[in-house]
Amino acid sequence: MKNLTLLILACLWQSTAFADGGAVQLRSEAGGLAITVFTTPAPLTAGPIDVSLLLQDRDSLKPVLDADVSLLLRSRSTNCEIRATASHGQATNKLLYAAPLMLTESGAWQIAVSVLRNGKRAEIGGTIEVLPAPQMAASYWGYVAFPPLAIVGFAVREFLLRRRLKPKVRSCGIT
Amino acid sequence: MDPVAAAILASWTLSLKAAGLATLVSALYLRGWLRLRAELPHKYTVGRLCAFAGGVVATLLAIASPVDTFSGFLLTAHMVQHMLLLMVGPPLLLLGQPVLPILRGLPRWIFKDALGPFLGCRELQSAGRAIVHPVVSWLALAFTIVVWHLPAAYELGLRSQSWHEVEHACFFLAAVLFWWPVVGVWPGHPVEPRWGMVPYLALADVVNTGLSAVLTFSDPVIYPSYRLAPRLWGISALADQATAGVIMWVPGSIAFLVPAVVLGMRLLEPGGRPAVRCAPALPRRAPRVFRPADLLRTPIFGSILRYRHFRRLAQTVMLSLALAVIADGLFGPQVAPMNLAGVLPWTYWRGLTVIALLLAGNVFCMACPFTLPRDLTRKMASPRYRWPRQLRSKWIAAALLATYLWAYEAFSLWDSPRVTAWIAVGYFLAALAVDSIFKGASFCKYVCPIGQFHFVHAMVSPFEVRVRDGAVCGQCHTHDCIRGSQQQRGCELQLFQPKKLGNFDCTFCLDCVRACPQQNVGILRVQPGLSLLEDRRGSGIGRLNRRSDVAALVLILVFGAFVNAGGMTTPVTMWMHRRHSLTALYLCALLVVPGVLATLCVWISQHWKRPAVTSKELACSFILTLVPLGFSMWLAHFVNHLLSLPGWMPPIELLFLGSGLLLTLYSTWRVACRVAADGRMALAAMCPWAALASGLYAAGVWIVFQPMQMRGMVMS
Repeated sequence: MKNLTLLILACLWQSTAFADGGAVQLRSEAGGLAITVFTTPAPLTAGPIDVSLLLQDRDSLKPVLDADVSLLLRSRSTNCEIRATASHGQATNKLLYAAPLMLTESGAWQIAVSVLRNGKRAEIGGTIEVLPAPQMAASYWGYVAFPPLAIVGFAVREFLLRRRLKPKVRSCGIT
Repeated sequence: MDPVAAAILASWTLSLKAAGLATLVSALYLRGWLRLRAELPHKYTVGRLCAFAGGVVATLLAIASPVDTFSGFLLTAHMVQHMLLLMVGPPLLLLGQPVLPILRGLPRWIFKDALGPFLGCRELQSAGRAIVHPVVSWLALAFTIVVWHLPAAYELGLRSQSWHEVEHACFFLAAVLFWWPVVGVWPGHPVEPRWGMVPYLALADVVNTGLSAVLTFSDPVIYPSYRLAPRLWGISALADQATAGVIMWVPGSIAFLVPAVVLGMRLLEPGGRPAVRCAPALPRRAPRVFRPADLLRTPIFGSILRYRHFRRLAQTVMLSLALAVIADGLFGPQVAPMNLAGVLPWTYWRGLTVIALLLAGNVFCMACPFTLPRDLTRKMASPRYRWPRQLRSKWIAAALLATYLWAYEAFSLWDSPRVTAWIAVGYFLAALAVDSIFKGASFCKYVCPIGQFHFVHAMVSPFEVRVRDGAVCGQCHTHDCIRGSQQQRGCELQLFQPKKLGNFDCTFCLDCVRACPQQNVGILRVQPGLSLLEDRRGSGIGRLNRRSDVAALVLILVFGAFVNAGGMTTPVTMWMHRRHSLTALYLCALLVVPGVLATLCVWISQHWKRPAVTSKELACSFILTLVPLGFSMWLAHFVNHLLSLPGWMPPIELLFLGSGLLLTLYSTWRVACRVAADGRMALAAMCPWAALASGLYAAGVWIVFQPMQMRGMVMS
């Protein structure tokens, strides 16, 4: 019974956040920069997502870290718009500019990236496909599954105990 | 420093999960190592501790450092990560001989009660020996390395974070198996002949060399993801692949061949034998006297609790808050989220109370503001009457509780600051009136619905007010804990400490603690829920498993938890709006349905295997076991309102519910074992109750995933 505490602690460490990086969605060159756009999760689904960008000098491919990056996502079906600013602070990989977003619906979304560096603006755009959000319960299956697993573990433990003590005790009051 | 280099070095991916697990394992190892070192200092050296720490650090570097962050961009980084997981982390961890220290570091109840049957199982021991057999271990590593380096499998890991974690877990576990016979981990039999480890390592190097040669000399890029990834600093994908191959080849070969050489040299030494081969014999420990933790003896908190005027101070603070709630409720803005009467009682106080019940015990009753005016009034005039014998039960409180649960929804109490304020005023007046007429804590024991909520749920709290040493009470003739003395009153709820059963009816007032001349009463750590299982007469409460009033109270609280939380979900709210049948619904959900279900469960339990107890005792015993599940629902619900952490709440709520279900099922099993003659009868007797608990759990899970009104929250 007391191992419930341990189980709770162990399961609390399951993280639900997405790291940046992930699948490459766009890559283009503009304004002397090579711009690569990544998204997570892969495959991309409606709900919380992470859009991150790698900016590189087009010639040397050295990462560029001093730009201002803004994003505009527009749903093709409903014209719903999401604007965000991507930054290193929100990224795990500090070479990237990241922005956590909440996509409210699935389908095709147009993405426009605007990069401002040294007074020059570079823009690229494209389309990303977003799948329907997974069932909320499916996202937390581990938390729903732990009671049955614990029950199975307890049943095996009881079986082992009873088998070991069978010649001595026939009652079930063994714990 | 170059900004790009600084950015790379700052790119850590340490998750709470990894950090927590590493901390837990390290703490267990250190605890066990310290114990073992005291007994076997020549076996558990500082070198072993350092090796284990090095293994933990290497593993964390692999999964959380910039090496992990850039593994999706550069195959070289990914290869370094894999080398750390295969060649550095596991052998260092095993050199720390971690099995015995970790087992000794575990709390005794986990080691003995939870793991003991598994550790003593012959089949599991044989299986353990089989999987660390050199042939199996070698094949496991070779198979894992080869399969995961196939382009399809490798690409799977690169595309999916989950599969990437599976890949790393496979590498780590296979490496642990591989290095196990090489290191000779205790406890276990040494691999004989020992020289067999030399070809074992050399053959593994052959596999490693073959794979690394493919990577180094392959002309096309093997893994398409790296061909598509943006190239940092102009490093081509092919050059990156060749570098990764060289890293796998050279350091990998060193990792396999150096131990082979060392082993060979030791074997060739005249009369030389490799280091310790067998598990060290542990000296037999003297049986430890079990002393449960005592809150009153904790360094600072204990001093605060023992302070003579602590309760008065806590009550005064709560009284001030109650007066502020009343004043704001009566005269403040009648918008719940902007009024203390809308926010403090319905969101913060309820949430903090259930957290206190979970972590300590009945803290609210300890600081109850309603009894402070009563105590002050009693200084002027003492009550003369005893509470009527016919009313000495929980029926009044149960009825009031059901009424409150209905009124909460029917009159939208959370949304009515003025009504909330009047309820608080009414509560003060009722407590004052009852306790001005009747002796003792009659209001607390027989009337107060809030108190009953705490009494019932404090039975699953981890601390209990109880005697420290029963033998001391055996020699006591004054019984000050219940009778009181000239300086200190005794227990007003008539709970005689030596015969007290759990926390039921205990207000944590600590009068008994101060009254006991032997200082033999403390707030001791207990097994949560143990009092739900005990079949004995408790002082002041009798046999809980034969009290139908307590069973009814528990049923209302358990079903009330689900009804109260469910009533805030959008589907239920919309359904109720359409039907306009709130009163009938609550009548059914709080009284009819619980009664019918409990009766049905009793009938099935009785007619299936006929346990040797009466229907009433059967019902009362099993209904008590539902308390943990009901409490977990209250906890999930109130904590959701209190914390409202986006993304975190569903897991936390599910963990509460799952833990409540498990504790309920465990209690049900124990009760079934008590009332039934053998295991089969017990299983049959518990089946309907387990089904009822599982149904309530399913309802709770459904509630967690529904949109819920965040009533009474402060406006942002």
